[in-house]
Parts: sequence; C-alpha cells; structure tokens
Amino acid sequence: MFRLNLKIALRNLWKYKGYTAINIIGLSIGLAGCLLIFIFLKFQLSFDKSEEKKDRIYRVVSSWIYPEEEFFTSGVPVPLAPAMRNDFSEFEKVAAVRQGGGILKVKNEGGKADLKLKQDIFYVEPQFFEIFKIEWLSGNPEQALSQPNMVTLSEKTAVKYFGSWKNAIGKSILYNNKADYKVTGVFKDFPENSSFPFEVVFSYASFAEKDSKAWGWVTNRSECYVLLKEGLQAADLEKPLKQFITKYYVEKGPAQEKHYFQPLSEVHHDSRFGNFRYKTMPYRELIGLSVIGLFLLITACINFINLATAQAISRSKEVGIRKVMGSRRKQLIWQFLSETALITVISLGFACVLTELGIPKMESLMEANVSFQLFSEPVVFIFMLILILVVSFLAGLYPALVMSGFSPALAIKNKISSANAGGLGLRKILVVAQFAITAVLIIATLVVVRQMGYMREKSLGFDTKAVSIVNIPGDSLSRLKYEGLRERLMQKPGVREISFANAAPVSTDNMTSSFRYDHRADDEKIQLNLKKADEHYLKTFNLPLIAGRGLSKSDTLKEFVVNEQLLKSLGIRNPADAIGKTMNVGGRGGSIVGVVKDFNNLTFKSAISPIAIYSDKRDYNAMAVKIDTKDMVATMKIVETEWNNTFPDHVYEAEFLDDNILGFYRTEQVMGVLFKVFAGVVIFISFIGLFGLVSFIAAQKTREIAIRKVLGASTLELVKMLNRSFLWMVLIANLVAWPLAYIFVSKWLNGFVYRIEISIWPFMIAMVLSVIITLVTVSLRSFKAASTNPIDALKYE
Amino acid sequence: MIELKNIEKYYANKGVKSYILRHVTTSIKQGEFISIMGPSGAGKSTLLNILGMLEEPTYGAYEFMGEDVVSLNERKRIELYRNHIGFVFQAYHLIDEMTVAENIEAPLLYKKVSGPERKSRVADVLDRFNMVAKKDLFPNQLSGGQQQLVGIARALVAQPSIILADEPTGNLQSPQALQIMELFKKLNEEENITIIQVTHSEVNAAYGSRILHLLDGVIKEDLAVPQGV
Repeated sequence: MFRLNLKIALRNLWKYKGYTAINIIGLSIGLAGCLLIFIFLKFQLSFDKSEEKKDRIYRVVSSWIYPEEEFFTSGVPVPLAPAMRNDFSEFEKVAAVRQGGGILKVKNEGGKADLKLKQDIFYVEPQFFEIFKIEWLSGNPEQALSQPNMVTLSEKTAVKYFGSWKNAIGKSILYNNKADYKVTGVFKDFPENSSFPFEVVFSYASFAEKDSKAWGWVTNRSECYVLLKEGLQAADLEKPLKQFITKYYVEKGPAQEKHYFQPLSEVHHDSRFGNFRYKTMPYRELIGLSVIGLFLLITACINFINLATAQAISRSKEVGIRKVMGSRRKQLIWQFLSETALITVISLGFACVLTELGIPKMESLMEANVSFQLFSEPVVFIFMLILILVVSFLAGLYPALVMSGFSPALAIKNKISSANAGGLGLRKILVVAQFAITAVLIIATLVVVRQMGYMREKSLGFDTKAVSIVNIPGDSLSRLKYEGLRERLMQKPGVREISFANAAPVSTDNMTSSFRYDHRADDEKIQLNLKKADEHYLKTFNLPLIAGRGLSKSDTLKEFVVNEQLLKSLGIRNPADAIGKTMNVGGRGGSIVGVVKDFNNLTFKSAISPIAIYSDKRDYNAMAVKIDTKDMVATMKIVETEWNNTFPDHVYEAEFLDDNILGFYRTEQVMGVLFKVFAGVVIFISFIGLFGLVSFIAAQKTREIAIRKVLGASTLELVKMLNRSFLWMVLIANLVAWPLAYIFVSKWLNGFVYRIEISIWPFMIAMVLSVIITLVTVSLRSFKAASTNPIDALKYE
Repeated sequence: MIELKNIEKYYANKGVKSYILRHVTTSIKQGEFISIMGPSGAGKSTLLNILGMLEEPTYGAYEFMGEDVVSLNERKRIELYRNHIGFVFQAYHLIDEMTVAENIEAPLLYKKVSGPERKSRVADVLDRFNMVAKKDLFPNQLSGGQQQLVGIARALVAQPSIILADEPTGNLQSPQALQIMELFKKLNEEENITIIQVTHSEVNAAYGSRILHLLDGVIKEDLAVPQGV
C-alpha cells in the first residue's frame, strides 16, 4: 500500500510539473534560509556552552549609578580579585585576567629573520584554568603560570612561532623590548565559540600592577571570574556583595559603585558589557533573525497550502473512488500528508545544496573567523527532521483535511466544485498574510537601507576624509621621537597635517572622568569625556572653533578646549563666558581657552557627550595623518617607511578613519544585508506562489472566461477582471502590514539617537512595488487564459 | 444578412487533412428560422461556431451584414457580435457565481450600457420571461429548463438581430423543450429575430422555416419547411 501511494504521489507530482516546481522552488529556498539561520544561531548560542562548570561560572562586572544613568563595564578594579578571594567563602575559585598588548619578538634559530609582531596578550592567574577546562599539551597551569616572566602559548601560536609546539618549550620571547619570557607550557587552542581568544598567556605574576590598591580605577582590560561552590545560587551572593562594596569603596564619588555577577552564558550576549572578543551578539538580533526564518517558512508553506487546495478538485475523483473501495478518512489524510512530506524531503535536498552555496557568503558577511559546516553535528539532522515534520503538518494538514473530506457520491460524479474544495476564503486570507509579510519586509528593508545611508552621509561635525590613524608606541623613549617624526613627515608631499592624540574625535575608545568647574563647591553630576591631543588636533580634523582659540603647545595639561554640549550641561549660554574659567579633572587643573562646535564623538546610537580636549603627551597612542586625497596609497607608503625607521622595534598599524567609522556599524550593516537578501527571497517565494495560484484560478475559470468572451468581453477586460481581486488582496495586505512595519521600524530606529524620520515613502513604495509585481504576475498568466479560444472551453460539459 | 461562400474547415494532422466542412455555400436572410441537422460529427457545431465567429474557416468567404468577417480584426469582430449575435448553449453556460439577474446583465456590461438602462432592460426581460421572483437565485437553484430560459434571456437582453443556439434543448425534457421552441418561434415571428439552431430533433426542426441537412461536412439538403403544419 505504501509503495503504491508513493508511486501515485510521484505520478501526481509529475503530472502537475509546474505546480510541483513552484512548490519545490519555494520550499527549498525557504528551507535553505532556515538552515543558514539555524547554523548561525547554533554557533552564536553555543558560546561558552561546552564549559563543564558553566552553571557555576560568573564574571564580576562593574557599574556606576549616576542620578540619571547607569554606566556599565566588564572590567573590575585590580584589587578586587584578591579581595574577593579573601572575603567570599562562597567561591571555590577566583581568577583575575588582565589584557595587555605589545610587541613580541621571537628569536629564530634557523638563521631566518626574527619574528616581530604586535599581539594581544593576557596575564592570567593559574586559577583560571581550574575554572575553565583546557587541555594542556605540555606543563600544567599550576607551575607554568606561577612565576613572573613565564609565558604559555596556544598550540596554534606555538606552531606559528616555533614550528612545532614541542619545540617551543623552554624558548624565550622578548616582550616590548624589555623583558624575556620563558615558554613554560602549551595548551590546546580555545575553541572558536569561546569568549576567550587567548593565544599568548603570561603569568599574572608578571603583571606590574597586580598589587595595585587603586579601587577607583577601572578598565575593561581587567576582568575577574569566579567559580561558585556547588549547590549555591547567585542570589546567595547578594548580602556578602553589599558588605563587600561598603567595605572597600570608602571614598565617596558622585556615582555609586556596584558589581554584578554575570553568568558565563551572558558574556557573549550582553552588549552592555562586551568581552575579549570585542563581539557581542544580543538576543534581540538573534530573535530578529529567527523571525525572518519563520517568515520564510510561513511564506513557503502558504504557497503550498494555496496550490494544494486549489489542486484539490482534480484529486476529488481519486478520493471518491478510494472511499468507495473502503479507505477510511484517516488513511487518506495520512496519504496526503506523506505526499507533502515527500515534497518536503525533495525540497530539503535542494535546500542543502543551496545552503552549502550560501555558507561562504554568510562567513564573509559575518566576518566571524569560523567555518560553518552543514553536516557537522547530529543536532543539524535533528533540526532537519523537525523541519520536515513541521512543514509537512503546517503545509499538508489543511489540504489533507479538505481533500479527505469530499463526499464520495459527489466526488465520483465529478461534482466537486471550488465551493466544496473549501477555503477560497482561507486561500484569500493566506495570500493576504503572505503579501503582508512581504510588505513588512520591503518597508523594513527600505528603512534600514536609508538609515545606513544616512549614517554614511551625515556629517559627524568634523573631517573624516583622507585621515589615517597610525598607532604610535607610548614608552618614554619613543615619546622623545614624536616631534622629529612629525617634522620629517610634514615635509613629505601629500601630507597636510599631523596630530598626536589618544584617539580620533569619534572613537570607541573613550575615557570619562568626574570634574569640577570654576571653583564650584562640588564635582558636577555629569561625566566629562576626555580627549588628549596636541595643538594640531583641531586643524587635522577640521574642528571649527566658535569661541576662543585652540590649544597651545604643551606636553602636559595646561589648557582645555571644550565643546558646546559641556556648556549646555553646565548651563552656560554664551560660549565666550566660559573662556578663561578653570576646570579641575582628576586633581589636575587648567583653564578653558576655546569652545568647539559639537561633533559626534560616539556612534549615532548615542548623543554627543560633554567633552574636554587637553594635552597630555604620556597618553598619546595614535598619530592622525591628514593627507591629500590624490595618491593616498603612495603617501601612506612614505609614512610607513618613515615610521619604521623611527620605531624599528615596533609594528606599524594604520587604518583610515572612514573605514574605522564604518566598523562601528557592522551589526547594522549585517542586518541591512540580511534584510535585503531575505526580503528578496520572501518576495520571490510569494510571487511564484502568486503565479501558481493565478494559473490555477485561470484554469478553473476557463469556462467563465469563455462565457464572458462569448458575451462580448475583450481580452483586456478579462485581464482586468482577473486582476481585480488580487489587487484588493494586495491593498488589504498593505494596510495590515503598515502598522506592523511601523511598530517594528520605529523600535529599531529608537536605538539611534541620530536617525531618519519615518516618512510615508517606504510604505508607499512597498505598496506600489507589490501592486506592480502583482499586476505583472497576474496579467502575464491571465492574458494567456483570456486569449484562448472560448470554443475549446465551451464545447461540452 | 449572411453569405457563406465555399466555406471549408479541416484539421491537418501529420499531413492527413481531416475535413469537417467542405464547400459550404449558402445565404441566410433576416427573419429566417433555420435548423441545422445531421448525425454526430457532421460538422453542425463547427458551422454554427463559424457563423458565430468563434471559429475561423480554413478557406472561404463569410459576409455578415455586408462585412467580410474573415478579414476583420478581433476587436471589430467582438464589436459585431456584441451588437448582433446572441448565443444559447446546450449546457446553458451560466456563470455559477452570479444570480439570475446578474447573468442576464453581463452582456450589457460589455456593451457599455448605462446603469439605469441596464436595470430597466434586465427588469423588462425578467418580466417577459416570468422570472422576476427568481432573479436573486443562483443557477444551481434552478431546473434545467429554467436555466435555459435564463440563457435565452441573456442572449436576448442585448437585443441581437440573430440568435445562434447549439442544441438548446439537448439537456431538457420534452415539455420544457417544447416551451423553449415555442419561445423561439414567437421571437422569430414577433420580433423578426433570425434564429439558427443545431438540433437532432425533427420535432424541433419543424418549428423553423428552413432545414439544412449536413452529412460529413457537406450540405446534403436545403429544405424549406412547409408552414402551418
């Protein structure tokens, strides 16, 4: 029986090749989209999930609660880790991690050139490796990280530096041209889905400030991980944490210090804190993607239901005969369901091929240095099985119920008409739903694309074109060479201006501090964003002054240039009033000499901060080079050569500011691309579905069309008639889609302080676009139907 | 009003021509009531379709009210039959989704008749056919004879000068068939509407004024029916 059913199913698929093709194309594209999204989600959700003790591992994070706002950071004060180890009996282990970075030099014995490279390094306490399980190929963390000047390497890094990891043991590495570190251990690489990109691990004992008592200083380079004793909950830590904070934070600042225990599972997903990979993937984005995947699946299923119910009439005779022969309704339902499952399985095969083709594109889009594999894990197969079951039921159940419900007496006499086949109403609702999804996606895509364009086009308030940010070493010896390098470079053709600073006007690297203005009694209730730069800064970035003058030459804090926003926050109307006033930042004072026009110092997601620019040579770590727009490549080559001559022991790195700024919006860009691609796919699926449905309706209406023709209708009038109902559906769908799209789009835009206004245009465009596509699709097919000879349809019943 | 000269119709299949109509030459005057008779496959329906401009002859000349139909383009042809020809089918061919009144109104829509006039003409026809009470029913709520009445009403509402009927009573029982034939006769006599019907029935043919006997695509006989029998 099963084989017979299978045979009949295959014959039916073959008989209605056109509809089968539409079903399979739609389903396989939809399924491929789902698979791609699933693989991506699986990877993103797998972060740190393989840790054995993951439920007991927490990261200690900090925040400052200001009257208006709360600031978050993943960092903790350096003395926090030892203090917690001492005070909390609830912890089994506490481990401090400190990120550093610098120049590594590896002596090569083979006579080849020495290896010199810039590398992120981590000072890690041995306890870390008791919290996180990593296999050690050589040595053990207990000893390998016990003493100063010890370094351990990941397997990959060891191979890179020394040819093989066995070779690496006992060798030494020169760090920042200062101290030699001996390789005492090699551990297996951290997995790609770990939040710890540890390659070069120094013993924490080598960290110079490890015994610091500065509770007021926090950087996100210092993190602290704790392992809870078994059987304890995070809630049990509330009370001791309160005591801990009152015990250690004795100095009263304007903000209230706070710590949280962040579960390990949140480290990859909470964008308020960040991690050593510099990449967080908020759940919001993941949910957005899943919704798109769901949309894909739904549109494909709607196609299927529409075509299957439309086709049902042609199957009615078979149903009647089967029923007469004694088939029960349940058996028929199963038969039709297994036919759907067959189509789904075939589609899944195509979907796998499409997915394989799509994976490289996705990898390059995500810039994640990971290789996605389709058939890597059993969970993918389970997902596929679930997909088959869900799609078969979602798409197949309703048509199966309709078809199996035909009355055998009517069915055999071929008296089943579209009225019995049910659901012309339902089919209309489904088409409306499909169009609504399409319209929502078109609108969302248009808005996302326009917002991206807006961010690219909108002026930040300063010059970002043709400015390259070059790193510079910050040690005292190198600092002496800054002026010389600047003078030599300024003489080169193509170099317009050079400024030393800690960062570009817009940067993710921000430092804030509390401050006191003009002999007021208390610190201000706001935080001041500090930019350290020399006297050429304003000119290099073309920052316009609205009052006073720029900084004069100085190596230390003497003068401030502030922005309008600061004056606004302080309640100063006239910029000129601020000139000459003193300001005290972190115990050091100076006077305000100039006011610059506001510029965006953060991404467009945030408002402009109150800013003070002042000179402090010790904190410079970037050289901004403004060059002529022509021959930029050659100019930068000259800069690189001169730089390398000046700092032979360091590694040159440069990036154009424009590229850097684009990097801030990676997530949005990715979302933009995803929207474009998936909106295109959904539109495509919807419209081949529409084409199929129109074909069927046209086929069903041949008699009516023929009668009307004989009554005198012209082809044009018939095409108009067939279009009318579809156009109504499209219009209704757009009306349904508008509020949904509006809610979604305004939510998304709310994430940006600087954003486009939502206008009527994306909505109108979506409507016009869907109307045009509908007209084209329906007209193409109905023209054919309307121009056939009526005689063929009217001959006999 | 109608002149057919040497009408031929054949289908070429793998080099073999299968003839449906051969050398059909005849002329039909306004006000005639013609019955086309003959065995199955003789080409009766094809001849009627050609007369109704639904099919084109392979050869031959066809003049309708002085115009050469074969050379007309589609729009002109539609124009012609919109204004002059009404069709009645064996299987009625009413549109299932429309009520009786709407079915009757349909041809007027395509003739671009104004709304009030459509209403009055439909009402008029309904009244004449005694179907006012049924005007809001759907075709499948009517008996076959009633459906055919609607079919004829629909053909008449556009005030054609000729009605082409392809076995109009083929699906009906005899009392209803007689009723339809009486109606045709009345229309022919009182309103001078030309009627051409295809029929198997001698009884039906007797209502007409002339009989064309077709056999294998050729007109075998062209008889005038003695009136008043």
